[in-house]
Amino acid sequence: MIYCLYIAVSLWLIILQVTLIPLLPFSDNIYDLLIPYVLYLGLFRPAWKTLPIIILLGLVMDNLSGGPFGLFTSIYVWLFLGAIWMRTFMHASNMFLLPFVVACGVLLENVVFIGMVTIFEPDFRFPEDALRIATIQVLSALGTSPIFLIFYNYTHNRWDSWMFKRSREAGR
Amino acid sequence: MFSRRMVIIVGVIVLIGVNIIFLFITSRHRSSFYGLNQFAVPFVAPFQKAVTRSIYFAKDVWTHYFFLVSVANENDHLKKKLRKTIGRNQELNEIALTNSRLRNLLKFQQTTAYKALAAEVVGKDPSPWYQTIIIDKGNAEGVKKWQPVIIPESIVGHVMDVSTHYAKVLLVVDRNSAVDATVQRTRARGIIKGEAKGRFLFNYVLRKDDIRIGDKVVSSGFDGVFPKGLPIGSVSGVIRRNSGIFQEVYVSPHVDFEKLEEVMVLLNHTRHDFVSQE
Repeated sequence: MIYCLYIAVSLWLIILQVTLIPLLPFSDNIYDLLIPYVLYLGLFRPAWKTLPIIILLGLVMDNLSGGPFGLFTSIYVWLFLGAIWMRTFMHASNMFLLPFVVACGVLLENVVFIGMVTIFEPDFRFPEDALRIATIQVLSALGTSPIFLIFYNYTHNRWDSWMFKRSREAGR
Repeated sequence: MFSRRMVIIVGVIVLIGVNIIFLFITSRHRSSFYGLNQFAVPFVAPFQKAVTRSIYFAKDVWTHYFFLVSVANENDHLKKKLRKTIGRNQELNEIALTNSRLRNLLKFQQTTAYKALAAEVVGKDPSPWYQTIIIDKGNAEGVKKWQPVIIPESIVGHVMDVSTHYAKVLLVVDRNSAVDATVQRTRARGIIKGEAKGRFLFNYVLRKDDIRIGDKVVSSGFDGVFPKGLPIGSVSGVIRRNSGIFQEVYVSPHVDFEKLEEVMVLLNHTRHDFVSQE
């Protein structure tokens, strides 16, 4: 049942990312909103249950993007594995550190994208606006990611307690 | 012999290497993953379409019923413009008739009339580093890969992937896009490449060619994808260095690719591969 929630949140984020945000005049400066979710799942949820969702998310984004196939999947899986590794030494509920983790994720994604468009493309040319876009995205991730993380934490906890209540009632 | 930590580090390095090789291969061979690169579009695109329609509906209601302050001024302005356009249209009709007479005289091949299919833009690329859109027409409506996508003012791009009712279009502003183009005034040729947002790079234009700011750039038709004579943009910058055989030319598109809502797919224009079929 928890997969219903994962899929609903993922679909909502994807629609927001590819349909609503491009209508905004400053859409280039908005970071990939799926990164906070990928990191949230890696830091707070059981790893093996959420890995298929991460792969699915990556594949869907690869389908919708014009970039090389597997690019989003690779980024999300590595971020997810990084988040799981971070759980070994970082207190996951530290709300002060989490925005920095998301900002690092956004930075990593931008570095991979810039690397892809410069190194792998036939004519090596560094995008002029790359540094500006990456900097703004990282800064906006620092400022806004706590809102998303709090929202994810709240909805997932509510869902868990609702499911727990339902199973207890069914057991009576 | 090896510690667990060492094995993990080596494993991660190997995985990163494999990942880089995989991405290198996929960046070279796009759209060939046994349908895996298209499976999500039919599931996600209907939601995108619903959201896009709702937004446009709300926008329409706002602009047509509530935001009427500037409409009267715009109406006057458009009436003046219409009067001028009617006059210009008369002139052009005359030119068209003359042209057709001369073509007949010279036994010119009749220019093909392309069958255009209107499509709505339902989604855009999730990454700012790639420029693609998703349109609400696919295989079922006759859309095929490599078909040109245009709007009356300009070339938009070409079909990159197709599913039953949706298609992904690679915009000409994408860095992976290339259009063989020519300057309308001087017939100087080059390749239009997507560059930073809002402009193109006009590559391989010879230094000796006379190119001025404001010159119109149109498709040459030599790339086998786009028909000849479709507008692309206007020259916005020319850098002619002392050395080298090419000059650096920048072209501004006629359209704002961020604001595309409807496009047209040219259905009966097929790609010429220039490769002999064995």
